[in-house]
Formats: sequence, structure tokens, C-alpha cells
Amino acid sequence: MNRTGADALTRDRLTTAVVFAALLAVPFLFFDPATTYISRRFIRVMIFAIFAMALNIVFGETDQLILFMGGIAAVGAYTTALTAQYLGISPWITLLLGAFVAGVFGSIVCYVAARRQFTVIVLAIVTFAFQMIISEVLVGLRDITRGSTGFPFNGLQLPAVEQVTGLGSYAIQFYVLLAIFAAVLGVYTWLNRSKYGLAFDAIRQDEFAARATGVDVVRLKVFAGFISTFIIGLVGPFYGQTTGIIIPSLFSFNSVDVLVLIILVLGGLRSRYGPLVGAAVIIYIDNLLGNFGQWRTVAFGLLLTVLFLYFRDGIVPSIASLYDDKDPLARIRSVLGHGKSE
Amino acid sequence: MFARGVELLIDGLARGMILSLLGLGITLVFGLGGILNLMLGVFAVIAVIVCSLLLGVVPGLLVAGLGGVVAVALFAFALDRSVLSLVYREEGEDRVLLGIFVTLGLSLLFEGLLFVYLAGSYFLESGVPSVSVGGAGITGSSMAVIVSAGVLFGLIYYFFNHTYLGVATRTVIQDETGAILCGIRPRRVQSIVFVLSAAIAAAGGILYALDAEVTPASAFELTTFAIMVSIVGGVDSIRGTVAAGIVLGIVITVAGALFGSYLSTVTLFAVAIAVLIYKPEQIS
Repeated sequence: MNRTGADALTRDRLTTAVVFAALLAVPFLFFDPATTYISRRFIRVMIFAIFAMALNIVFGETDQLILFMGGIAAVGAYTTALTAQYLGISPWITLLLGAFVAGVFGSIVCYVAARRQFTVIVLAIVTFAFQMIISEVLVGLRDITRGSTGFPFNGLQLPAVEQVTGLGSYAIQFYVLLAIFAAVLGVYTWLNRSKYGLAFDAIRQDEFAARATGVDVVRLKVFAGFISTFIIGLVGPFYGQTTGIIIPSLFSFNSVDVLVLIILVLGGLRSRYGPLVGAAVIIYIDNLLGNFGQWRTVAFGLLLTVLFLYFRDGIVPSIASLYDDKDPLARIRSVLGHGKSE
Repeated sequence: MFARGVELLIDGLARGMILSLLGLGITLVFGLGGILNLMLGVFAVIAVIVCSLLLGVVPGLLVAGLGGVVAVALFAFALDRSVLSLVYREEGEDRVLLGIFVTLGLSLLFEGLLFVYLAGSYFLESGVPSVSVGGAGITGSSMAVIVSAGVLFGLIYYFFNHTYLGVATRTVIQDETGAILCGIRPRRVQSIVFVLSAAIAAAGGILYALDAEVTPASAFELTTFAIMVSIVGGVDSIRGTVAAGIVLGIVITVAGALFGSYLSTVTLFAVAIAVLIYKPEQIS
């Protein structure tokens, strides 16, 4: 990975500028008040890109595989929406509360996992079990959550800004998510370039050696876990708003976790723009397959299997190393041949 | 009150024995090769579908059930020779992770195909009449399940204790390197046990369908139940898994009757989480 070097830094800045210029232009180019489904598609891309970036921090950097992203998003969404309704205030105010509750829940799980020295598979199973419990509780606590029929939610809008700027509500939503995306990207870049990045590398390569050299593994894992689940909990309400109704099935393992995993691996684990590229590709495919019913499940199953067997490097890191390489053809051959270049 | 208790206990035992069979499907493959088979439920559902399709052609549920188990075994063999061989090439934690994702992908793939071509709900009629013992009504399906599962446990016990292959399997579970030194070829044992685990899950699925409707969507639910049972039982202990299945079956049946079905499912997952927090080192 190119963490130093003037060349790499210039390229990073150039990429950042191009990506954000393109993203800023999206609403002007594609959003059309008459056909909202295109706007919603872009909003979904941003939401899933942010989910994947959150997973990238906790799984990519500290090897903690969490499989309750749907559940965490639900914790954020239900806390935000229900507290706002109960208190009769705007969900903008309770948005941070939802994210905080999700983050605290996530960090407790990560704390127990780190203290009890869970291997990656134990944490995966424990979080998966929590995902199931959250789904069951959301359906079961009918009096509070309104069960499997859910409730309408679209309180995260900014009518005043719409009036001042003359932009549509979808464009405003897109920009709000773009701001969160930028913030998360900033946090990720800062983490990676600071001493935390070094410590994460150490934990990933050899946790016991890292501990021996004085890295506080438990604290760092909880820290990464908190950031990630906070982000997922923050975006959860926006995710609920995309369909206009908050229902448990929206936050199921198959609707969130499977997609996020595919997005992250396809885009590229531990890359800055991998999640965005992966989300764009997968949400596009998802929409293409939307009319073919269960073929969608078949396609994603096939994609997940093939990706993990043959293409664990991901799009963004593969392109980056093609760009760096003197002999790109040999590189393609090695990527396709072994699936893993390390 | 007492009669109701006996009814719950018998139903719980039947349910628990099915859970044990499914749990064994996970335990055998994970204990042996470190692959957490997330497509186990698909095997169970395919067996039920094949069985119910065969019922129109062959005489009797037993023959049809056997047909379902054989079909699943062949399917599992094909998968083992193709996709799983790629997973077994990896070692240690890489294999564990790759195993999770590849079997998850395969599970979605085949679940989707089942939805496209064989959607619908399947139910198998055991044909055993219900009886009343001392005021407690015992359903025919529960009796059929308990008897068939009992026979299967006997066979499984015999296999692991009295056949060369069974003992070799336990050796590989304990120590892969040691097994190689004793002249056992782990990959071959892994193949045979994968097929065996699929057949056990298939039998578990067919017994499950005697008492509940099975749809392609059941695959995911059956897989998660199987994983939880296997974890509570200690993941690489065959006896532990059987015991855990039976205990959990009785617990969730009683909890379901007392507090409603949603809390009984929550109980199952909560117990699994508690066991993992208490003894995380059993899975490594």
C-alpha cells in the first residue's frame, strides 16, 4: 500500500477531486422530478457505499467480521424514528441518539469479543445470532415497533433548504448522504495515516505480537467497532426513508449484510473508494435483476461464491496495481489465476 | 396439567431430535475440516422436495424418503468434488472465512433456484395415527420422528464407534496431522463426511416436514437453527451436539408454549451467544 511518496499523494488528491466533482454533479445530471426511481437508485448507492465503508473499518482494518449490520442499522433507524415520534420532535434531533445507541451496542459486543479473544468466526456467529434476535424482537414487540407491518417514516427532510436552494428533496437527501460519505472517508483516511493505521496493521498481522509491543488491542478493536456501528446506525434512518416505511424485513441479513459483503469484496477490501465502486456496480445489478424476482438471489449467490474464490482483491486495488505495474498482462494473469495476490 | 406437560415433553423431544440431526450436519463438517456449512438447510429442503415428488411414483414414505436422502448425497458429493475442493486448498483461518462465504453464496444460489423452479410449500404425511396415553394426546408425527431419529442415532453411533471409517473420522477431528501420520487421508475422509453430513441433514429435513410445512425459505431458518445447536453442543463434539439438540428442542417447545413462539426463537439464539461468550475457545 502506498502510504508515503509524493506521487501517490498527488494521485490520491486527484482521485478525491475527480470523485467528489462527479458526485456533486450527479443530482444535476440525473435527478428528474418526474422519475424518482433514478434519484432513489443513486441514494441507495450512497447508503450502501457508507455501510461498506463502515464494514471496511471494522473488518478490513481490525479483522472483526460483524454480521449484524442490518440489525445495527435497524437499531439506529428504530431508535431515531420512535424517539422522535414519542417526544414529538424532528428525527434530525434524535438522529445522533440512534447512531449513539447503535455505536454503544456495537462497542459492547466488540469489547466482549476482544476481552474473550473471539476468533473471527466466533464474532461472526455471535453477531449473526444478534441479527436474528433483533429481527425477531422487531417483529415480536408489536406494541412498540408496530411489528412486521412497520410504520411510515420520511422525517429526514429539509424543506427550508429545498426552498432556499430550489433543489428537490431527493437532491437534498443525496447531498446529506454525500456529506456523511465525505466525513466517513475523512475519518478513514485519517485513521489510516495516523498511528491508528499502524496499530491496525499490527493487530491484523499478528495480534499477540502487537500486544507484546504495547498496542492496546482491546481498546483499538472497541474503537474501530464503535466508529463502524455508529456510522451504520447513523445511516440506518436514511435507509429506512428510501422506502418511506420502516419494516423489519428491510433490515434482514439478506437485505443488508449479504449486499454489503459483496460490495466491499467486489470494490476492494481496505481501499478508500472500493466501497463506492462496489456499491455502484452492485446496486446497478440489483436494479437490473429487480424484475426477475428470485433470479436476483441466484445471481448474488453466484457472485458471492465466484468473488470469494477467484477475485478477493477487488476492483479498486486491482486497477491501482495494474496502474503501478510494469507488466500489467502478467498481473492480470496472476490475479485471475490465484484469486489472491498477497 | 400433567398430561399437558407430557405432551410438551414428547413434542419437544421430537423437535429436539430433529435439531440434533441438523446440528450434527454442521458439527461433522466444521469439526473435521473447519468449514461452517451455511447451505446445510438447502440440503434438508431439497430432500423434502425430492421426497414429496417421489411420493407420487414410489410406494410408501420410507422409500421416497430414502430417495430424497440419496439424491442429496449425490448432490453433496458433486459439490464436494468441485467447489469445496477449492476451499479445502486453503488452510487455517483463511479456510474458515472462505468456507463461510462460499457456502453462504451457494446457499443463496440454490435457494434462489428452488424458489424459481420448485416454489410452494411441502408437507409430508407420516400416516401414523395419534394416540392418547393417560389423557396426554401424542401426535403420530412425533412418534414417527422419535422412532426414526432413534434408529438414525443408532446407525450414526455404530458408524463412529465400530467402523474403520468412523474411527478414522474421529481421528481427523482430533488431530489432522496425527491422522496423516497414521495413514489416513484427510481429504478423502472430509469428502465422505461431507456427503454423510448432507445425508443426515436430509433425513432431519424430511422428519421436520412431518410436522411443519417446508418452503425454499425454510432453508435459511434450518441452517441457523443447526448452527446454534452445534455451537451449544461444543461444535466438534458429536455427543454434545446430540444432547444440545434434545435439550434445546425441549426448552424452546416449553418456552414457546409458555411465552409465545417469538421468545422461544430468541431463547435459542441467546443461549448460543451465552455459550460462545462463556467458552469462545471451542471454535478456533
